[in-house]
Amino acid sequence: MFILALLVVYKLVDIQFVDGNQYRELAEKRTIQNVDIPANRGNVYSADGSLLATSVPKYDVRIDVVTPSAKNFEKYVKPLSDSLAKFYGKPSGQYLQALRKARVNKNRYFLLARNLGYINYIKFRNFPLLEMGAFRGGLIVEQNTKRVHPMGAIAQRSIGYERFDENGNVTRAGIDGAFGEKYLRGTNGHRLKQKIGKGQWKPISDANEVEPQDGYDVYTTIDVNIQDIAHHALLEQLEKYRADHGCVVVMDVKTGEIKAISNLGRNSKGYYSERLNYAVGESHEPGSTFKLMALAVALEDKVIDTSTIVDTEKGVLSFYGNKVRDSKRGGYGKISVAKAFEVSSNTGIVKAIHNSYKDNPKKFVDGLYAMNLQDTLSLPLIGEGKPVIPDPRIKNGIWSGIALEWMAYGYNVKLTPLQALTFYNAIANNGEMVRPRFIKEVKEFGNTLESFDKEVINEQVCSKETVLKLQKLLKDVIEKKHGTGNRLYSKNFSMAGKTGTAQTEYWMADWNENKRYISSFTGYFPAENPKYSCIVVIHKPDRKVGYYGADVSGPVFKKIAQKIYTDTPIVDAVVNLDENHSTIMKSYDAYYAIARKYKTIMPDVNGYPAMDAITLLENMGMKVKVIGRGKVKSQSVTKGTKIKKNQTIVLKLS
Amino acid sequence: MISSSHSADRKVHEIARLNEEVREFRSAFIDGRSVLMKLKWESTIERELAEIEVMPSDEPPIKIKVKTQN
Repeated sequence: MFILALLVVYKLVDIQFVDGNQYRELAEKRTIQNVDIPANRGNVYSADGSLLATSVPKYDVRIDVVTPSAKNFEKYVKPLSDSLAKFYGKPSGQYLQALRKARVNKNRYFLLARNLGYINYIKFRNFPLLEMGAFRGGLIVEQNTKRVHPMGAIAQRSIGYERFDENGNVTRAGIDGAFGEKYLRGTNGHRLKQKIGKGQWKPISDANEVEPQDGYDVYTTIDVNIQDIAHHALLEQLEKYRADHGCVVVMDVKTGEIKAISNLGRNSKGYYSERLNYAVGESHEPGSTFKLMALAVALEDKVIDTSTIVDTEKGVLSFYGNKVRDSKRGGYGKISVAKAFEVSSNTGIVKAIHNSYKDNPKKFVDGLYAMNLQDTLSLPLIGEGKPVIPDPRIKNGIWSGIALEWMAYGYNVKLTPLQALTFYNAIANNGEMVRPRFIKEVKEFGNTLESFDKEVINEQVCSKETVLKLQKLLKDVIEKKHGTGNRLYSKNFSMAGKTGTAQTEYWMADWNENKRYISSFTGYFPAENPKYSCIVVIHKPDRKVGYYGADVSGPVFKKIAQKIYTDTPIVDAVVNLDENHSTIMKSYDAYYAIARKYKTIMPDVNGYPAMDAITLLENMGMKVKVIGRGKVKSQSVTKGTKIKKNQTIVLKLS
Repeated sequence: MISSSHSADRKVHEIARLNEEVREFRSAFIDGRSVLMKLKWESTIERELAEIEVMPSDEPPIKIKVKTQN
């Protein structure tokens, strides 16, 4: 007995003093924790303050099917299934069966809905059975903070996201990804907390406490209205032409602000959605739209002029056995360089460039370099495609005997749509090349921390003289009857631009049976004093429906141009003529006199316009029925009769 | 000592409840705003009005500005 007591005392001493520190630590660890306080991520806004990306709580709703009593379960399982069926638009029996099965299997974690927004979450909470709460109804709600795009699919890829996987790797897409670390993320805080009841932690004061620093808000240059038009116009054309994918970018000419950017690709089910940022990431052979760059070099070097005559030689040219063909069989005969550009004659442009640079192709390449065409745009967005320009001095296997000629009409060179647009924008902007920009300002609690101004890449890509010639060419593509863009012409507003119909994947074996094209349109509007530049690129339209740049991509461009035109009011200034028109004054005085005088007695409204008569009588509390149109001819109640409230008067008009 | 500790606990629970409420309101606000933004889109309005055959104009509106003369 004594020995037992001794052992107990020994153990007590052991726990208290020998292992004491260890246990005390353990106890503390269980009840005291250094808790991270997550910083709120900043929002991404459009130029007008619409939310493009924000963090909101999302709810997963589950049910513990075992919790409800048998009576309640039987009573409510049918109405609950009906509510679910109504919510999802599916037959109710399916849910009934699934819920019953879950009850049999004793499922205590049956998923009803994932990632519900608040409004839908509240709907769920009011469903039968679920409204009884956690203890009687078995409702289980889990809440997570999710990054959402309130605009839905629109510009989703360019707005982007920042995602961390379990290994701590980050995927950064679009604006949200690019500016995540610098602005949006903020820094987490932390503080010591002690555990109290109901799963809550009570803060304990501590010197090492750090307050969380919320992320800043990023204001983008995206204009929601233009984005909406661009997105839907592109979608419409993609669907019509059953194309593989496409993109459209609208840029402010003077400042380089991107007003809209839409990238849509087709998934395996045939639906289009924002999948990849083609406009920024996809370098491809531009085809005819590159003729502008080729002519810019030649005009700047003064080796040709727009009036120089070239022979299109029956529409076929041959270089080392490789053929350049015109889309029009038989070619265009002998035409000026300007006309070759307007009708988009491959042979015409190739001939002009070949004749001028065949002995010194380096000079042509240098001309392209001088206009910054080999540079990436150094965008903050990740994944910009690199331009490719063959150079005889660089031995990388791209240069060949036909590289010069092929470059002249947009092959062997590669540009991303945004890079091509930047050049066209420079021409629209009288030669000043500005960098495309996605963000305008960074704000915290509405106060601007940083704002971004236009960035000039090249003050003058080519001389004013060349710019004017190129502007004229682009305008004539649409305005001249023979221009490839003439189908887009509108008498109401002006546009300028170049069509492109480039072959793609022509290096593949099956090309001859299944020809594939990239249809594009690049330009700006209005033709004089341009405000916006725009590029539309559509990859692999269904050839049975059509594939020419003017047909496939042109309408998207036109729709945007037209929309912006019709949205901008024409201001007509008139001088204030402060003179009173006597008949108007007289009629007004008469009306006013009646309105003052007659409150309960029927006035004589014969000869009054219907509008005035109705207003008068209805203000007196009568109901008016009119027959015909024009002025009052007769009234159903004679003048001077006392009237009642809500009395019906019939007026005949002529 | 004990009562103030309990009062602190109460406050923590109150704060947690209020935080939850803030999150719900925020969520409701974003949801509402998202719906509103989609309703405001020109393409939505165009679709809705197509039923009663109201189409967007081909011509821009004309704003008449009155210059005051002194």
